[in-house]
Order: sequence, then C-alpha cells, then structure tokens
Amino acid sequence: MLPITHFLYLAFALFIIGSAGVLLRRNVLIVLMSVELMLNAGNIVLVAFARMWGNTDGQVLAMFTIAVAAAEAAVGLAIVVSLFRSRTGTDIDDLSLLRD
Amino acid sequence: MTGQHVVFYAFAALAVFGALATVTRRNPVVAAVWLVATFVAVAACYILLSATFLAAIQVLVYGGAMMVLFVFVIMVLDVDERGRVEHRRPSRIARIGYYGSLVASGGFLVWVLLGTLARQYLKPGADLGGRPDFGSAEDVGQLLFTKYLFAFEAVSLLLLAAVIGTVVVARSHRERVKEAVRSGMAPEARVAAGLGEHEGEAGAIAPGGPTPITDFGAPSATGHDGGN
Repeated sequence: MLPITHFLYLAFALFIIGSAGVLLRRNVLIVLMSVELMLNAGNIVLVAFARMWGNTDGQVLAMFTIAVAAAEAAVGLAIVVSLFRSRTGTDIDDLSLLRD
Repeated sequence: MTGQHVVFYAFAALAVFGALATVTRRNPVVAAVWLVATFVAVAACYILLSATFLAAIQVLVYGGAMMVLFVFVIMVLDVDERGRVEHRRPSRIARIGYYGSLVASGGFLVWVLLGTLARQYLKPGADLGGRPDFGSAEDVGQLLFTKYLFAFEAVSLLLLAAVIGTVVVARSHRERVKEAVRSGMAPEARVAAGLGEHEGEAGAIAPGGPTPITDFGAPSATGHDGGN
C-alpha cells in the first residue's frame, strides 16, 4: 500500500512547477497551462486525502475543481483571443494599461 | 517494491517530467502536448487512489475537451515560437536579484512544507475492505446529488456564465459595432464608446498596422525587462 505522502510530494512538485511557470513565462498561453498544472496538483491532494479517510467528499470537490478549471480556461482563452486581435501578440508584458 | 509502487513512480515521473516540459517549451503547441501527457499520468495516479470515476473525468475533460480548446486557440492565433518577444537583457544585478529572490522564496516554501510533512504521521490509507465501490460513479454521484446538490447547481450556473462571457469577450470589433448599430445606440454614444462605424473601419485599414482601437490601449513602447 502506497503511503499518502508520496502523492502529496507529487502534488507539491506539480504545484511548484506550475507556479514557476506562472511567474517566469511571458507567453499567456503557457501561463494558462501552468495554472491548469497548479489546479491539478490541488486535485491530487483532494483525492489523496479522500482515499486516506475513506471518504468520497474530496473526490466530489475535485470534480467541482475540474468544472471551475474548465470555465477558467474558456474565459482565459477568450481573453487571449481578444488580446491577440488587438495587440498581435501573446506577450503578458504588453498588458500594462492599468499600470501606466 | 510492489507493482503498485512501480506504477506510481513511473507515472509520477511522467507527470513531473511532462510538467517541466510544459513550462520550459518555447512552442505553445509542444507545451500543450506535454500537458496532455501530464494529465494522463495524473489520471493514472487517481486510479491508484481508487478514484476511478474521477480518473475517467480527468481524461475526458482535461485530456479531451480542454486540450482541444487550447490547441484550437493556438492554431487560430498562429503564434510564432517565441510569442513575438523582443529580447533585451536586464542588467546583471537585476538578474541576480530576480533569480536569487525566486530561489530563496521557493526554498523557503520547500523547507516549510517538508518540515510540516515530516511531523505528520500519515496513515497509508483507510481500510476499504467493506466498500469495494469506493470512488465509483455511483458513489460519487450519490454524494453529488444529495449533499452537494446546491454546489452542483451553482457550478452549472458558473459554466453558463463562463460560456456567455467567452462569447462576449471573444467578439471582434466589427461585430460589436454591428451590434451597437442594431440596438439603436445613438451615434454620439457609439463614438464615445469607441464603436463609431467609420472609425472602426478606418482603424482596421489604417496604415499604422493591424492594431485598430482596442480595449487594451496602445502598445507600450518601453520594451521588456525580465527573464525568459
């Protein structure tokens, strides 16, 4: 029987990689993919603890996370399309309207 | 080292490697394909945690629907490999500070998390002897439509809002002008909202380039300062 900690380490690694992608990459598409990675890491933790307690609630919450992630990806990609139409690029550093 | 261990380590390694490749690839299409590999590996981990229904959902929704969405958008946008990045290297001190603080904060996070985990005694998992259907569609559905019914309906509303929002946000400038004209908006109000008929057409064929009036303002001329 695998200890739950192994799954937590995996989720931890995925979350760190995803957050590094969000912080370091400037391509909006890759940033969105990194956000999906982080959400997946959260899902792994939910499912691992659901298994640990023998309780299905965590799996239901993970399903809700998947639904919210799908909505987030749809709206995010719509923003990317709109951005690409107006700026001819997907560089995140071009989005500085609120700063200057 | 049982078979379960071998399967877990194989798929965990694939998940981590796929995640690293997703974050580091230059070409968004290649990154999307690696992301699919990561999602499938995570689905395998769900099966190891006896969440079979969730594993199927993961492959269907993430590996199927969301990836098609991603790849479709990438293809429609026709992004070049670097996403049109103009490269200007920041100064050495700025780079050292940037990456140094990044490593320090990441190291701190690792330290706190490992310290917390090491102090926890985590059982390998509850005994599921009496419940062979743990994580099945019936098991999850039972909970989804009783205890979490309200949340389920709220999520359906959220998805509806997301669909409408996507359609509204992704409209082109010309479509918005057409809509404003059809709804009988006063011409002055339309011009004030940046939806003037001739203005939009003139912007679309302006010699300044393919950037008409936008929601995001004019492109900045300051260039970039940062890492990759």
